[in-house]
Amino acid sequence: MSRRALYLFAAPALALYGGFFLLPAVQGLRYATTDWDGYSPAFHDVGAANLTAVVSNDDLFRNALTNNLKFLLVVVLGQTALALLLAVLLAARGRGSTWLRALFFLPTVLSSVSVAFIWKFVYDPNFGLANAVLDAAGLDRFESSYLGDESTAILWVAVAQIWFHAGQMMIVYIAGINQIPEELYDAARTDGAGRWQQFRHVTWPMVAPATALVVAYTTLQSFKAFDLILGLAGNPPRSGLDVLATRIYSTFANSQLGYAAAESIVFMAAIAVVTFLQNRAARMAHG
Amino acid sequence: MRRLLLAGYALLIVVPLVVIVGGSFKTTPDLFASPFGPPTRPTLDNYVTVLEKQDLLRVLGNSVLVVAVSVPVTLLLGSLVAFAVARLPRLPSRVLFGIFALGLAVPAQAVMIPQYVQFDRLGLRNSLTGLMLVDVVVTLPVAVFILAGFMRTLPAELFEAAEIDGAGPWAAYRRIAVPVSAPSLAATAIFLVVMHWNDLLHPLLFIDDPAKRTLPLALLDFQGEYLTEYPLLFTGVVVASLPMVLAYAFLQRHFVAGITAGAVKG
Amino acid sequence: MTMSRRNLLGLAAGTGAASLLAACAGPGGESTKPGETGGEISFAHWRAEDKDVFEQIIKDSKLAVRQDISPSNDYQSTALQKLRGGTVGDAFTAFRGAQFLDIAKAGVWTDLTGKPLTQRYEPALITAGAQDGKQLGVPYQLVFNTPLANRDLVTETPKDWDGFLALLDTLKGKGVTPIAWPGGDAANAGQLLNVMVVNNAPTDDALGRIETGEAKVTDDWFLTVLKQYQQLTPYFQKGATGTGSDAALALFAQGKAGLLATGSFQVSGVRKLGAKFPIDLLAPITTTADKARYEGVFNATFILGVNAKSAKQDAALAWLDRLSDPVVAGVYANGTAQHVTVKGVEYTNADLKALAPWLSRKTALAPRFQFSNLDVRGAVENAAVQVVGGKSPEQAAEAAQRVVDQKR
Repeated sequence: MSRRALYLFAAPALALYGGFFLLPAVQGLRYATTDWDGYSPAFHDVGAANLTAVVSNDDLFRNALTNNLKFLLVVVLGQTALALLLAVLLAARGRGSTWLRALFFLPTVLSSVSVAFIWKFVYDPNFGLANAVLDAAGLDRFESSYLGDESTAILWVAVAQIWFHAGQMMIVYIAGINQIPEELYDAARTDGAGRWQQFRHVTWPMVAPATALVVAYTTLQSFKAFDLILGLAGNPPRSGLDVLATRIYSTFANSQLGYAAAESIVFMAAIAVVTFLQNRAARMAHG
Repeated sequence: MRRLLLAGYALLIVVPLVVIVGGSFKTTPDLFASPFGPPTRPTLDNYVTVLEKQDLLRVLGNSVLVVAVSVPVTLLLGSLVAFAVARLPRLPSRVLFGIFALGLAVPAQAVMIPQYVQFDRLGLRNSLTGLMLVDVVVTLPVAVFILAGFMRTLPAELFEAAEIDGAGPWAAYRRIAVPVSAPSLAATAIFLVVMHWNDLLHPLLFIDDPAKRTLPLALLDFQGEYLTEYPLLFTGVVVASLPMVLAYAFLQRHFVAGITAGAVKG
Repeated sequence: MTMSRRNLLGLAAGTGAASLLAACAGPGGESTKPGETGGEISFAHWRAEDKDVFEQIIKDSKLAVRQDISPSNDYQSTALQKLRGGTVGDAFTAFRGAQFLDIAKAGVWTDLTGKPLTQRYEPALITAGAQDGKQLGVPYQLVFNTPLANRDLVTETPKDWDGFLALLDTLKGKGVTPIAWPGGDAANAGQLLNVMVVNNAPTDDALGRIETGEAKVTDDWFLTVLKQYQQLTPYFQKGATGTGSDAALALFAQGKAGLLATGSFQVSGVRKLGAKFPIDLLAPITTTADKARYEGVFNATFILGVNAKSAKQDAALAWLDRLSDPVVAGVYANGTAQHVTVKGVEYTNADLKALAPWLSRKTALAPRFQFSNLDVRGAVENAAVQVVGGKSPEQAAEAAQRVVDQKR
């Protein structure tokens, strides 16, 4: 088979992807060194001033980064645990299981704006579902202003995000669990292992590849939680709800395109660092 | 215990959805008077308003058009690259794959600013064509990743046999690679449909003209300034979600496979 | 990778899913030909609740106008880039302050100086649309960014801060929420800041001076503002910092709240929810009676203009001419329960008549629009929200001042 033809196959995709994705990514570096507002014909070169400011002298950016990391941590831990729990409960085949799987997966096909609106109403302090349920259960001392609570707002968004995507990760885990040979469980039972021990010594180590997948995917997804936050928090989100993606968008909307480009670069660096740390952690966990 | 947990989570999914759907049949005063009760005087006014005044049919049409073009194009281009990755010798194959894999680690939000400038200069902003283009470009890495992952597992003999028969690479792609990869292609297609259908970021940046909005953007616009009307919002959610939920009901198995395939790296 | 290896689904399955969706969706893609709306001009604004009234005016005028409406916060952040494209907003509106100035800087206003329509406005009320001696736009609405009062519940009108707190106690005693405040909605949460600032501020441009660095969020006068927010905290509805503007409006309309801390632009929304009680305006006087300079706050906003990038400037100007006609402006005012800046308008709407005395009261021009950097404005307004959320005024002010220093 001629190699040239194969290169030709890849050419159209490479041209589009190179021209409209890689090239702008590189151009971003150029804008990041200017004070361009995004519309004026003239701008000035400011060198590394934007980048320095983003990294060392920008409370709004640091706040967005902190929120993003909190969000990431809660979603990765919470969603992974919930997905695994649901998968363990539903791995056995059966009519009920099939139905519930379908139901739990359903939110995944909704758009994030829809999910945001649904949760906005759940969290409404005066008319919403959450406080109404607490009220009815006589637990009104746990009532909250949810998205209005500066220090916990991002965690409530994390809950919505988990509701949105846990079903998807559950399916990944079910696939992983179904590949575990039944004999391993038989052997464990012969050794007198209870259900928890079966989980601890068979299921958990055997789903390690699925866990790696779920964690990696959830991490990227958490950095991208732009739509959900914009829908829940409004535009621009206030400080308790701001994450990196929305901060970049707000900077851009505030006619500071050069600075927004600098923020994008730090954003990418943050993702790279988190991914690197996760890989290290995963390697250490598996010896 | 198992039943209790499952029933609890099922309620957590179902109750908000039921409240939303119920709310779409209420008037605003009714909703605020009784947010969770059944509609006392059910009304279809919200649906009439959403579909007629808000021009949601046109918006729906735009979304369908974008998905109908961008998904097949992404699949075609992505599968061609995947085929090349599977058939090229080790080094060029790795380089080609690496270039696309790079895009997986770069979120769209990080490239959007320069992309915005570029599309503006080329006159591709505020056009559905531009939106399709950006959707294709942004999701190509995912498509390549899933499809190449599959095609690499195909035995080389399959293609070598075709070569002996004198078939060119195009024929090998079309007559062998595509049919054999059908499940993978279908799964990728569904994954792409969900991603393109739900994309908010790019319409938000690129589309000015309300007549060219897609569903997520139109939905976001529903939040009026001084008066958000929850029932209208809910109706918008129902109308925007219905096509996807129906498709999901009929093609459930493929949805699950598709999204799971996407989860391999998204 | 887990997937069912069902054969022969083919590429067609992928495209099939899309065309299936196309089939369910009705009109499909044909309805999106760009030329279809070619004859109309686009009128870009952010007042969704005025849509029907504008629609009526358009119909009566026989002009071909299409309304392009975005929510106000989105409008604030995206209108400029849209207008520059020239496809939206042949005629458009702008907020006073940052947005007006940005649009001027980008050269998107056409100069209206000397055009006959400018003669139809109260000269003192359209200065917000002028720059360097040129009338670039004309502010159309005269709104009062002053809390609404349910006069069935709120019978007195306190003249000082202590009196105001006493009123709130009285309301609480009646079992209603004294103040409904949409603290969770950035655009509307900041309206209350207007009335909280005007009497406390040493000068009328004090908020603007924060942005230029001549004043600080940590200055005594602004700390006073924040401490007063702290005093108001127990009188807001529950979950105030997480309440959206719709929910606050509903509480007020249902008679469950005495005051609604937004402004006159919400009167029509309150009526739409079926409220029958008499509505008045009532600003907290944040000082002692003798120190109070203002009874409330107004804003001349919704600045109408013609897009310099538009190919249909004549038609856009004709639309502005139409809106400037006192009879048409009256239709708008009475239909939306908002006062206008056009001279000689007859107000027949009952709420407008009731609020008419406010046209001659001592009101200050809304100070929050003095900010031209949205991050700075957000930081200052957010300090007030954080105080209600439990942060100490000093800490909130310090955090806000840091952001101001970094961003201005």
